[in-house]
Order: sequence, then C-alpha cells, then structure tokens
Amino acid sequence: MTWIKYIEEPIVKEPIAIVGSPGLRSIGKIAVDYLIEELKPKLVAELYSPYFPILYQTVPSYVSHPDYPGQAGTLLKEGQVELPKVEFYLLPFPKLLITKGYHANFKGQYEVAHQVLDFYQEFGVKKMITIAGYGREGKEVCCAATDLELIKELKEYDIGTGYEGPFYGFSGLVFGLGMLRDIKGICLFGKTQPNLEDPEYPDPKAAKAVLERLSILLNFTIDLSKLEKRVLM
Amino acid sequence: MTMQFKIYKEPELKDPYMVTGLPGVGYVAKLSADYLIKELKAELFEEFYSSSFPPYVLIKKDGTVELLKNELYYWKDDKLKNDLIIFTGNTQAISPEGQYEISNEVLNRAEKFKVKKLFATAAYVTGRHVEKPKVYGVATEQELVEELKKYEVLPMDAGSISGTNGLLFGLAKLRKIQSICLLSETPGYMTPSGRVLTDVKSAQALLEVLSKMLDIKIDMKPLEKEAKMAEEFVQKMEELERRWAEEMRRSVTPPPKDIYI
Repeated sequence: MTWIKYIEEPIVKEPIAIVGSPGLRSIGKIAVDYLIEELKPKLVAELYSPYFPILYQTVPSYVSHPDYPGQAGTLLKEGQVELPKVEFYLLPFPKLLITKGYHANFKGQYEVAHQVLDFYQEFGVKKMITIAGYGREGKEVCCAATDLELIKELKEYDIGTGYEGPFYGFSGLVFGLGMLRDIKGICLFGKTQPNLEDPEYPDPKAAKAVLERLSILLNFTIDLSKLEKRVLM
Repeated sequence: MTMQFKIYKEPELKDPYMVTGLPGVGYVAKLSADYLIKELKAELFEEFYSSSFPPYVLIKKDGTVELLKNELYYWKDDKLKNDLIIFTGNTQAISPEGQYEISNEVLNRAEKFKVKKLFATAAYVTGRHVEKPKVYGVATEQELVEELKKYEVLPMDAGSISGTNGLLFGLAKLRKIQSICLLSETPGYMTPSGRVLTDVKSAQALLEVLSKMLDIKIDMKPLEKEAKMAEEFVQKMEELERRWAEEMRRSVTPPPKDIYI
C-alpha cells in the first residue's frame, strides 16, 4: 500500500544514504533539513503511505503503539497542499541520497522501512549514515554501527560509542533493517537534554555538532553559520 | 506481514526434541531456553525476522545494532537418543496474526526435522510470591499426561496459555506433533513503574523438570547463584513496595474527626 512517486531519473549511482527524521529533540530532522537547504540537492522521489498519520496519538510520535494509529489527512504548508511523505534528495558531489524521514504508525513501520531500503537498492546504496539524538550523559556526539569494524574506524575520528538501548522510529528501523540487505550503516547521535513536555522540541546545537562530524567523515565543506544563528536565537 | 529468514546451517538431526521459550511474563520461558543454549553450547542455525515484531532495533553496549529476531539452535550428543532444537528470541510477535505466522514457521521446521516431541515452556502467573515455584504441565495426549506425573509435574485442567509460547503448543496438536507445555509458577512481579522482573527462581524450577524429561545433565550452579541474588532483590523490592503502599495509604487518610483547631 506504500508507494513511491519518482520525480527524476537517478544519474548518480551508489550514493551514501543520509537519514534523519523527527526524533528526539528533532536532531535528525534539523540536520537533514539543513543539508537540503545548504547543499541544494535535487528531489528525486517521494514515498507516500497510508500508515503516515498527520495527527499522532502517541507522544513522542516515534514511539508508536498498536492501539493508537493516529489520523490521516492533508497538510497545508505555505499555501501548498501536501500529504505526509518521505523525501529523497540526490546530490552528485559528495554522492549523497539525503532522506527526510517520516514516522509511520505502529502497523506500517516495517513496510515503510522495507520500501525505503528497496529504493536504496535501486540506487545501489551500500552505505548509510543515520542522524539522531540521545539523551544521556556522554560526549557531544556518539555512534553506533552495523559492525565492529565501523566502530573502530569511527574511533579514529574521535567518535566513540555511548548509547545503549532501543532505537525507535523511522531512522532506527531503516538503519537496522539495512543489515539484512548488506547495507553498512553508522548512526551519529547528538547529545541533548530530553524535553519531557515536548520531546521533539528542536535542539539546533546538537544537530550542528553532528553535522560538523558528518562533514569531516565524508570530507565535504558546509557553512554551518546559519545553524549557528539558530542556536543563538 | 513480511518475514525474512537467515539460514546459517542445515543440520542433520537424529529424532530431535524441540524446546520453545520466548520472552513472556517473568522471562521464565526465555531464561530457560537461554540457559539451555548456554550450558549445552547449542549452535545457532536459523534466524527469523518479522514485521509483526515491535518496530525498533537495539543498540548494544559495544555500539553495534541488533534487530529483533527469533532464533533456532541445535545441539547433538552421540550418547543420547534424541538431538535437540531450541527456539527462542529477543522478542515475540505482537499481533495474533504475527504469532500464528511465526508459530507455523517454527512448526514447519519441526515437521521438516521430524521432531519427536515438542516441549513448550511458559509462565504460570500466580500474582503472589512463592518460596518454591511449582511446575504445572499440560500435554496433547493422555500418554504424555501420565509421563508428566512421573516427574511430579502438577496437572492443569483449565486455564489459558497466551502468546506464542502457548500457541506453539496448541498448533503442534493440530499437526499431530506430540507436545508438552511446562508452566512454572511466577508472581508476575512488577515494580511500581510497571517493569516486569526477571524470575530466575521460576526458570530454575522449570529447568530442573525439563532437563530430567530430556535426559540431559546441565550444571544448575550458576543459575542457583543467580536465583539467590534475584530472590534477595525481590525481597527488597517487596519491602520497598510495602513501604510505598503504606505511605500512599497514610497520605490519603483523613484526619481524625475529634481534633479541632
């Protein structure tokens, strides 16, 4: 029932997928939105699903519950009519497939994640970097990966492990299920202070810290000054 | 619903028995299956992944990611008449449809390997703390019910065994696979925050019966030690909860009527 609307023929093969979604303190979402804003990649496809609510009955939205499927509907953004969706943007240099995620309800999470991974495989994606947040004591940015080799590599960039526990929502499943398709993945978690009243309340400072590490890892330059301003606001 | 299978090995097994134990109340069934795997050094041969599992992944202490999955292990011993298949996992399917789907896949394997007898494990929730958990049993045939008596397993005439642990047992009957379900007493103990505690003592009681029925010897000492520690912990929790309940009672007690200010 979940479907993909193709917008542009892919010309870049084997890009690295970058994944972010509205999770803890919206770190993944802010980071991905900023990459799209700054690097100006091309929108190549959109994924729609009947499992995408516009109104969630669970707080936070990424922790779903079988009894609370939410409400479907249409969104209005700056006068434009939109359905909730996942967006895929392609950048030729560095070769990135930036994925702006969206949380399905409990019933649809696996289906959506598998469809995203089907799409990645069409593009020949072999590596993926997921951006999310973590709310524990520790370093500014910590990591997780699909194998120990990658953990070792990340240590060379002074990024160590530091989070242990469940990884919920769109990004967690895409990252984890990628393993079954031999897509190597790393996840960069930005440290944040959980906000119990509004778990997705934006933390641009944590997103900036993750983007700094990402640009070093992938060896590209990005002007983070606009994000810096948002931190100060 | 989608399922994926990862096959590591196709073992050749001699008249195997199958033990099943997924996480449920008190983790009694899972603990029992895990302890058997650990003590016998059983080998993993297949993993199941399903969209009916809860939608999240686990980040382990070393930073690597683990998917929610169900697993099949095998163990062989030339001295014994029957090899062993153990089914467990770090989760169980949430929806009834998912539980049926997984159970049928497990039983397809049981038929393929010509399993002679299936031993499902489960928890018998009593809601109270017991000194020595009793083990109850049900079987698909009268002959097996008689066998249970030899091991001092208490009969269970009425009740229900929910989740995949119970369903496997019932579906096995439909497929004419001889099947026994062992249920070990557990309080189903929860902390005030709603966390279900792991009941090592209950798993130990279950394993004592199960190992005799399987005619295998396993060293219970590490489990005994763990059970003792868990027991002390449970007692502490009970004391804390008793005090907490007392505080709650006090806080809602109205002042005596004969006091005037």
